[in-house]
Amino acid sequence: MLRQMTTRGTPYLFLLPGLVILGALLSVPLYKVVEYSLYDNVIVERNPTFVGLANYTNLMTDPGYWSAGFNTVVFTVGSVLGHMVVGIGLALLVNADIAPRARTFFRSMLILPWIFTAVVVALNWQLLLNPFGLINYMLQWMGLTSEPLDWLGDPDLAMWSLLLISTWRGYPFIMVSFLSGLQTVPRELYEAAEIDGAGFWHKFWHVTLPQLKPVIFGVALLDLIWTFQLFPLVWLSTGGGPGRATEVLSTLTFRLAFVDFQFSQAATVAVSILIISAAFTLLYLRNEARRL
Amino acid sequence: MIKTRFTALALAAATALTPLAAQAAEIEWLQWFAAENTDGFYDELVADFEAKHPDITVKLVTQPFGKVRESIVTDNAIGVGSDVLGLNMPWTKEFLDIGILEPLDEYLARDDNSFATSDLVEAPLGKIDGHTWMVPLNAFPFVMHVNMGLVRQAGFDAPPATWEELAEQAGAISALEDGISGIGMPFSSQPPSNGPILTFLPLLYAHGGRIMADTTPNFDNPEVVATLQFLKDMNDAGAIAPGAASRTGGVDLEEFIAGRTGFMISPGVHSSSITSRNPELEYTLVRVPTNGETAYRVHGWEIGIAADSPNKDAAWTFVNYLLSPEVNARAAQAANALPGNLAALDAVREGADETLLKQMEILSGDSPVEEMRQSPKAAASWSVMTEEIQAMLRGDQSPEEAAAAVQARWLDLAG
Repeated sequence: MLRQMTTRGTPYLFLLPGLVILGALLSVPLYKVVEYSLYDNVIVERNPTFVGLANYTNLMTDPGYWSAGFNTVVFTVGSVLGHMVVGIGLALLVNADIAPRARTFFRSMLILPWIFTAVVVALNWQLLLNPFGLINYMLQWMGLTSEPLDWLGDPDLAMWSLLLISTWRGYPFIMVSFLSGLQTVPRELYEAAEIDGAGFWHKFWHVTLPQLKPVIFGVALLDLIWTFQLFPLVWLSTGGGPGRATEVLSTLTFRLAFVDFQFSQAATVAVSILIISAAFTLLYLRNEARRL
Repeated sequence: MIKTRFTALALAAATALTPLAAQAAEIEWLQWFAAENTDGFYDELVADFEAKHPDITVKLVTQPFGKVRESIVTDNAIGVGSDVLGLNMPWTKEFLDIGILEPLDEYLARDDNSFATSDLVEAPLGKIDGHTWMVPLNAFPFVMHVNMGLVRQAGFDAPPATWEELAEQAGAISALEDGISGIGMPFSSQPPSNGPILTFLPLLYAHGGRIMADTTPNFDNPEVVATLQFLKDMNDAGAIAPGAASRTGGVDLEEFIAGRTGFMISPGVHSSSITSRNPELEYTLVRVPTNGETAYRVHGWEIGIAADSPNKDAAWTFVNYLLSPEVNARAAQAANALPGNLAALDAVREGADETLLKQMEILSGDSPVEEMRQSPKAAASWSVMTEEIQAMLRGDQSPEEAAAAVQARWLDLAG
């Protein structure tokens, strides 16, 4: 009996350190954030009062929250689309039959944006997009603009600029995933299509895309989850500005907590992000389970 | 036998040392000062203090300036706050509302202090809610840094002293060539998003204006509107560097150091970065151009004690050490700033470079002003100012509307 228990219990003992770490690092903060969202103003008030769902009611009537929510949707959808289009395009290019050395070189170079930290990416793009920066210089040299544009300081341009930065930073993940998927497509399918007279686009639409649909769906969902809660790149590139033109839910959370010192309201926004992210995660897990 | 004797000896020694061990206190000092180009100075300072006070050890915790405010709040919330805190004056009211700071009145009244309270720079000592909350390690005024090469190229012999001269010279410098600007205005939303307190407030104070009436926001007054109008006029005339809404304080400094901006309003302490990074620059610093007023925005590195510290006396012993004229002079020299303890002024003057001497000269008769320390939500307040000034500069609202919008949003923040 004891021996049986020991045999059955051993795997759980191995799992214990992981479970303890997960419990400490994940469950406790998660619980605290939800708890904070139910009080009037934690941290600032030494004895905060339980207010139930009042913070959630306030949030639903706060135009700043809806505006940040709308920006988050624009930023997330735009970024994921940008990542997908650029990532898939470049994956097809670097999968082409060219000299192996050149292929390795291009693959290594194109993955570089993924390696840089958000600080480096934000700083470099700020310099590039500066009114006196390279991009404005090129545009003026080509005669496309007469005056330098304030890409990150003009409310009409800031979100587009942010999407450009996010696309540049995030496409390598899609490129790598798609590239590995491309290696798994049976060569015979392309040969059969070629015999049927299919050109590049026909092969792409009727062979490559259907074969890689599960991969595309999986990485797109994963990208969606990551981008939805992306904070450092937005905060360091625009700080949510000018005005609140690029304020997304993650930057709103930080602003409420560490600029305005409204920690409970910040926790409430964080919980709303958690709920939406959890929905996407469930979708992703279901998709993965279906693939298996 | 030998083993038993050795154990007994060790036990006896441990017992004898117990009282000493019980008295030893370890205090933690969270600050950004050691991160600001001071080359190991603060490690040496701590070692010197520990040698003089063997019963106290100091753990130096250094973070970048932008991180310290956030760390103080979060550390305090989870009960792991440092004992001695490096502080910035604008944080005063918001920190004491959270209960982070220990009132220093009783400590300042002690007879055995190494300094006289009357010798300390006054601005950080001003009472809020009836108490003093921080003391000055050093002080520096906001000044206008000048690229004399560009001033001369634009046809002027001397830096501007009035608003009118500033607008004229900045416009002339901007007209020199592409890529050169008269003056930089860092009104970016990027953290810390504090452009208005770097540039707008020094100009306002030089015009005799104020933004607070005690702890109540008072932004929609004629002086504020006139200062906003001055900024707008300079911007419309092309005297301000393009891209103010995306220009950070860091970029503003870099552009000035690179010689692409005629003027930059910022703390005088930046002079050491400018002269060390670009010794070729024809550089000087002057008082922020005025309209007859001689008030300047004062800034500095302040020190306070955490209300939750279990070692408040040891913490004060350390603060007391830092404020002694001899140590304070060394700290000021290391940062190329003015001392927080004015009794150290002569010692600092002896080794001071030309830019520091000029700051002393500028400040000899002017009145220091620091209002953000009274604001209940300082960081949120200057963030609001940034957003409304951005909107004004791009023509979305008039200076009057910007002032009214800031006032309304500040009142909302104050709750």
